[in-house]
Amino acid sequence: MFENLALGFASFADPMVWASAFVGAFIGYLIGAIPGLGPSLGIALLIPFTYGMDPVVSIVGLVALYVAAEYGGAISAILINSPGTAAAVATAWDGYPLTKAGRAGEALTVSIVSSGMGIIISTAFLVATAVPLSEFALRFGPGEYFALALVGLSLVSGLSTGSPLKGAVAMFLGLALATVGLDVQTGVPRFTAGNPEFFEGLPLVPILLGLYALTEVLVMIEDGAAAKTKSVPIKKLLAVPMGTLLGLKMVIARSSTIGYIIGVIPGAGPSIAAFLSYAVSKKLSDKPETFGHGALEGLASSESANNAAVPGSLAPLLALGIPGSATAAVMIGALMVQGIQPGPLLFTKSPEIPYTIFASLWIGVPIMVFVGLAGARIWAKVADIPRPAIAAIVTGICFVGAYASSNSMFPIYVMVVAGLVGYVLRKLEFPLAPVILALVLGEMMEINFRRALITTRGDWAVFYSSPMTVILLLVAALAFLLPAFGALRGLVRKRRAT
Amino acid sequence: MKIWNFKTALVGAACAGVLSLGLAGPAAAQEGWKPTGPVNFVMHTKPGGGTDVMIRSLAHSLEPMIGQTVVVVNAPGGGGATQMAKVAASAPDGLTLAVNTVSHFTSMLTNLKGTFAPEDFEWIALMQVDPILFFAAKESPLKDMKDLVELARSKEGQINIGGFGPVGSMQNIGMSMLEQAAGVRFNWVAFESTPDIIAAVLGGHVDVGVANLGPVIEYFAADRLKGLGVLGDNRLSSVPDMQTFGEQGYTVDTSWLQVRGVFGPKGIDPALQQQIADAIFRAMEAETYQTYARAAGVEDGAFGPVEYTAFVKNIMTIAEEQLGAAGLLTQ
Repeated sequence: MFENLALGFASFADPMVWASAFVGAFIGYLIGAIPGLGPSLGIALLIPFTYGMDPVVSIVGLVALYVAAEYGGAISAILINSPGTAAAVATAWDGYPLTKAGRAGEALTVSIVSSGMGIIISTAFLVATAVPLSEFALRFGPGEYFALALVGLSLVSGLSTGSPLKGAVAMFLGLALATVGLDVQTGVPRFTAGNPEFFEGLPLVPILLGLYALTEVLVMIEDGAAAKTKSVPIKKLLAVPMGTLLGLKMVIARSSTIGYIIGVIPGAGPSIAAFLSYAVSKKLSDKPETFGHGALEGLASSESANNAAVPGSLAPLLALGIPGSATAAVMIGALMVQGIQPGPLLFTKSPEIPYTIFASLWIGVPIMVFVGLAGARIWAKVADIPRPAIAAIVTGICFVGAYASSNSMFPIYVMVVAGLVGYVLRKLEFPLAPVILALVLGEMMEINFRRALITTRGDWAVFYSSPMTVILLLVAALAFLLPAFGALRGLVRKRRAT
Repeated sequence: MKIWNFKTALVGAACAGVLSLGLAGPAAAQEGWKPTGPVNFVMHTKPGGGTDVMIRSLAHSLEPMIGQTVVVVNAPGGGGATQMAKVAASAPDGLTLAVNTVSHFTSMLTNLKGTFAPEDFEWIALMQVDPILFFAAKESPLKDMKDLVELARSKEGQINIGGFGPVGSMQNIGMSMLEQAAGVRFNWVAFESTPDIIAAVLGGHVDVGVANLGPVIEYFAADRLKGLGVLGDNRLSSVPDMQTFGEQGYTVDTSWLQVRGVFGPKGIDPALQQQIADAIFRAMEAETYQTYARAAGVEDGAFGPVEYTAFVKNIMTIAEEQLGAAGLLTQ
């Protein structure tokens, strides 16, 4: 293994490889920062440029692009409350309040450092466990996936603030929205009103843009051009003292581990990783009440987890040829144009490929962090743009981002409706997080629930015959019920006191 | 049933295509396709899928030949409807083209019936054919299709077959054809991507999977998966041991193949269509494209507008029969 790793690092003797890593990181950083674009698109666009290139050079560039683009989503989430992917939603929860408090530079610095650390830690896991853990992940059948999605959904109670009833209503709204589209098993259209636009379900990116960014614009308009906090300029290399970053080391280590493991399971991916580690960090924090109001801990856990999921998603890709995420699936296409077909033989047939990827993840991170820290100084100034101008710019980004997601008008309509619905929900103090969580997980939950029962022809034993399913279902039940018991006990005490 | 025998037609045309490409090369260069502006290829998928990578590879070698930029426009959504609407609304000048698979035809008979029909478009070139095959995990007791059919008979249909798309999809129809030929029933488990099917077969969550060769070939080589049979006329050259359905005694219509073709809006001049098809076939000879196509495990098709239009008609007939038999036709 160490021999091969040395082989991987040796490829960086070629200056072209360095150039490729820089270019990849830079493009990825920009593409990720624009809502509606994302790592998959970035890689697909870059594929034609890799023809005739040395495979190692092109793979290093694409990996750098992938990780930088995955990070880039944090920038728009922090600065303008516009998460371009579900994975960056939890980043916006604490990042945007920090920006509003004039601490954008701090938020960007914490996010880039956590992201970088997430990738470094996760890559170490990847080198050590890619093959055995990927083989283990194969045991995840439909029953296990259903239980995992349910665990994700059970986080609603931990993530939503305010009334549990309103949280539940918001969750069911998300679940209801997730049922729109062609039925995956039978192909029957559901709630499509005969319009083919609805066949593939409600598109996620426009809903994210609407619920978060457009809603924010409406709130800004309501507040008017009132006084706003001047952001603190970044003076040194880091906008936060080293001590603050060191204080986050446990949060980052824990979230990176969660991120890696969730990333390895095909189909789970960065968004579940970010939500899960955010919920865990909140539960374990000394100051859980600060979460959602600009907690650096929350920001660090979301960002380290969603970036740690990237090397995680590469594990089944490299070990078995099974992509762990949509972007990893695009990587397969990129490798194929080089004549490399990822599969179970990759490690034995062409070990230089996986080990170069490992090396490029480690070498790519400092490059990405450097680009990120340099960029943070410029980006942080975005927070100083007068509010009316910001509102106009964000609205523009929402429309362009929604259109770009499928080059058609339909996502724009979805985005506008989601923005208006989100505004009403916000005014009525319904939390938005459960809507997104349920929308992301609802489809995964339903498909796997039905797939499980189809494979057993209706035998429910599929949900209690596998130990892994049972454990996951118990975790979900506890996560749902414990807060409910707590609330009930508080209520009883209050009754007794009066 | 008046069916054109595509088995021979396809093989014949493939050979003829190779020959005519060699012969027609210089002539085509003289009066080749000279578009007056950038050419758009509208995709029904998100960026980065198998078909998307195919068209980007092709665009790369097509651009220098036609002296124009080739832009890949991703218009996912609506089960292809977003793409087809864009194509239908464009001018028939050859500057807006699109890529299709068999799912375009099955959806025009079901969910998109009344919205789009093959007559609304020009079918210009068939670029790839890709037969489907059935596979099982290495550990499985099944060795071939006969074992599978026997098992299905003894367990009264309690055999899970994982494949791409819902009931009525291209692969599901392939399974139905086998059911009819063998007189058994299987249990269809729908998946949304081929890697998911492979993972489910490797993990033992379904008994048998359906796929095209490309995504599974490495697993055959690594001895993790084994092929049970291929729905085609001939065995696959890279998996010579795997018999066809026909060889194992199950006669099915072997023109039921996954395809990737190029189509455009109604009204493109037939001469221009031929020029476009010729240019595409020549671009497919480029080394970069061939590297990709061989890694992807697909076979090159070489049907021009006339043959492809006839092919589409035949595919529609088979799909209509099969979907009708399954009670899936939208009234």
